Parts: sequence; structure tokens; C-alpha cells
Amino acid sequence: MRPEPPGAEAALDPHVLKQAAEWLLRLGERDASDADRAACRRWCDQHPDHARAWARAERLRELIAVVPAALARPVLERPARADRRAAVKRLGGLLVLAPGAWLGWRLWERSHGEAILRTAVGERRRSSLADASTVDLDTDSALEIAFDPRQRLLRLQRGQVLVATAADPQRPPRAFRVATRHGCLQALGTRFNVRVGADATRVDVLDGAVRAQPAAAGALACRVEAGQTLRFDARRCGAVAATGSGVATWTQGMFSADALPLSELLDELARYRRGVLRCDPAIAALPVSGAFPLDDSERSLAMLAATYPVAIERRADGWWTTVVARRDHGPAPRR
Amino acid sequence: MHLMHPHRDTLGTLYHDHQPWLQRWLAGRLGCREIAADLTQDTFARLLGGRDLSCVQEPRAYLTTIAKGLMANWCRRQSLERAYLQTLAAAPEAVAASAEQQALVREALHLIDAMLDGLPAQARRVFLLAQFDGLGYAEIAALLGLSLSTVKRHMKRALLGCLLHAP
Repeated sequence: MRPEPPGAEAALDPHVLKQAAEWLLRLGERDASDADRAACRRWCDQHPDHARAWARAERLRELIAVVPAALARPVLERPARADRRAAVKRLGGLLVLAPGAWLGWRLWERSHGEAILRTAVGERRRSSLADASTVDLDTDSALEIAFDPRQRLLRLQRGQVLVATAADPQRPPRAFRVATRHGCLQALGTRFNVRVGADATRVDVLDGAVRAQPAAAGALACRVEAGQTLRFDARRCGAVAATGSGVATWTQGMFSADALPLSELLDELARYRRGVLRCDPAIAALPVSGAFPLDDSERSLAMLAATYPVAIERRADGWWTTVVARRDHGPAPRR
Repeated sequence: MHLMHPHRDTLGTLYHDHQPWLQRWLAGRLGCREIAADLTQDTFARLLGGRDLSCVQEPRAYLTTIAKGLMANWCRRQSLERAYLQTLAAAPEAVAASAEQQALVREALHLIDAMLDGLPAQARRVFLLAQFDGLGYAEIAALLGLSLSTVKRHMKRALLGCLLHAP
């Protein structure tokens, strides 16, 4: 019997999951080609349920990537049931061995779906946590609150969060950590922004400092000071760079760009709107600057069209929007 | 009166009538009162928001079915923790650098273990060889003395099991 997380989304059709398993099987073949991968992507795009099933497959891959091979087989292939029954009889000894393990299990069982903050596309929300820390959750994000007697842990499952930590009311004070699929951030200061993407997590430290620890065994940790930004994946930390200006203005509903490639600005705006927002590759690198309203991305697009030599093409009632080079009038005057 | 919250009312009666009995039953199996008390609470917590309890004919059979499932989970987690500690003791180079990292690794192990639960040993082995040791299906077939199609069948079954029970 497995615990069903409460509030789970509608169950997926087993037939769809079977297809996803077949894709995983195919892509796991030695001779899997780019054509196979493209076909798999097409399958994912066919139906939202396909995409959901594939998200589970991705999650599985991520979990597998976290575990060193040297640990995986001895632990996951340990002798099965007969031994487990015998283990029940030896419980007394086990309890001495692993009280923390017991605690960890109970916290996981309890934390499953118990306190997950979620925002819809276009939504932003500020919440206060039990220790008086505050979190600003960006559009289309999911943050699991897993505080326990030993640590104040947040798991950023998706999206972006700005954390402002408070002093822990408990004595001794517990560590404050934010985990993503790529690793764990320990707060050594008070304000930082965390954004999790498919391939990497980015942290921008506004006040204090943060220690970033990629998830893979043996990966080196990295300290990020106020005014610095770091990208890391499960294996390693990137180079520490200066934080871009206005990195947290999203909490006020504005996105500030300073000579940012157009395609990156559009990726940012796309997170706040439904439908598809694409950029003509010919102008993807066009540097754009300004403060763009996130809650009114139509206005942001109009600002772009007024300031830069671009035009907005809309199809399917605005569900398919493409920003293209403007051809009819030549370049518009720059600001 | 009982029309106000029929579910909660039935649950209250159920708790009152059977909680001490269930706790004794679990304590007898587990040999530990604290864990029995926790799993008893968890069993009743499962019933909150669950199905209509007024049509449960054999409440003790129903409660023990749930309690057995929770106990099996608990045992699986215990045996994993033990295997984890033993593996670390035998191969310290596999130790992750920090406590946070170790916590992530262990959490991932527990999740994968739960996904693989109930899978035949052979399918589990095929899955682990492919996913963690990076062996190709043909290599696994040669290693285990199976046909290629059997390896793929096991692999597909394991992958489907993981997707069905993914967190």
C-alpha cells in the first residue's frame, strides 16, 4: 500500500503511462537517435496528459541522477521480504541504530502534500511561514514547506521564490535551507531569490550569504555573497557573477531588462501568460532594455513593438504569438 | 444529531471502539509500543476523508488491512536505512560530502524504492543495471543470461511501475 499524496491531480490514464514507459524504453536503447527524441517530444506535445506523464518520467530521471551508482544497487537490491519480516522481530535493536531514520520517514510521510504553496500562471503570492520568514512565490511555482525540529526546509519544486528569512524562534536556532532538484541552498543571511529551471538552479543573494551544495556526491559547495548570482546543476556550481540589477523586481510585478537578448525577455514574459509566445530566431539576440510589466504582458509586447524594430503576430486568438522583425517600415527610432 | 457529520461520527465510534485493540494488535506484531501508537494514529488518519465508513462490515479487518500496509511501508523504510548504513560502512568513498547531500540521496533512495516495490527481483535487477550502471539492454541480457526481449519486457514493466507510483 502506497501513500497517496492528498490533493493529487486527476489520475493519469494507465494507457498514457504505458506509452511514456515505452518512450523511456526506446530512448534508453543504445541506438536511440535524434529522430526518436524528436518523436518523443511530438508525443509529449500531443496532449496535456502526455506532457504530465512525461513529467513523471523526467522526475524519475532526476531522482536516479541524485543517487551514486555505488549506493544504488546494494541498497535497492537488498534481500527482500523474508529478511524484512525478520527485521520486524529485531526492531528493538534497530531503534537504537536509527532513531533519525524513523523521524525522517515520519516527516516525509507527513510532509507529502501537506503544505505546498502553489501559484497559477500569472499569479504571485506572498506568504508568512511559521517562523515569521516570508516567501514571495512567482508565477506558476510550487514550494513545499517541510519544517521539522531540526531544520527549516523549503523544497522549490517549480518556478521562483524570493525568501526573506527571520531569526528562528526555536533554541537552538535551526538551519534554513531551500532544496531544488539540483541541490541544496543553506541560508547564511537573510534575503535571496531562487529560481529552478529544467537544467539548473539560479540563486541571487540580496542580503547576507548562501551556501550552495549541488546534489551529486562529491560535488563541491560554493558560497555566494550579497550582490552575487550563481547557477548550479546537480553536478557542479558555475562561476559566481554579479547580480543583475532589478533581479527581485518581479515581486513588484516588473521585470527589468538591461541589454537582455529579446528571446530571454520573451521567455520571462511567457511564464506569466497562457498560450505560446515565440521569438523569430532572426531577432532572438536583439538586446532590449526597460522595465516591463509582467501582469500585463500584452502591454509589454506593445512597448517592445513601439521601441524596437519588431512586430507582434497573433494567431489562434492570441494563443500563438510570435515576435518577428518588422519589415514594412524599416527600423524604428531607438530610445 | 449524528446526521450532522455522519462520517466523522462513524469515525469517532470506530476510534473509540477499536483504537486500543488496534494499538495492542500492532504492538504485538512490532514489539514496540511507541511505534504501534504512531502507526495506530496513522491508520485512523488514513480514514479521515476516506470512503464512507458506515458500510464497513468488518471494522477490525478493515483497520488491520490499512495498518498492515503502513507496517509494510515502515519495514521497507527500515530495511532501506539499514542497507544504506551498511553500504556506507563498507564503501566510505560512496559517502556524500555533506549532511544535506546525504539527506537528498536518502530521500531519492526511499522514493525509488517505493516505486519499485512489488516488482519481481529480476525486473528490479534489470532496471538497476540499466539506470545506475549504465548497461545497455544487450549487455544486461548477456550478463543475466536472458534473451533481449525478456530484458526489455522486464525493463518496461519496471519503468511502468515507476511511472504509476511516481511521487
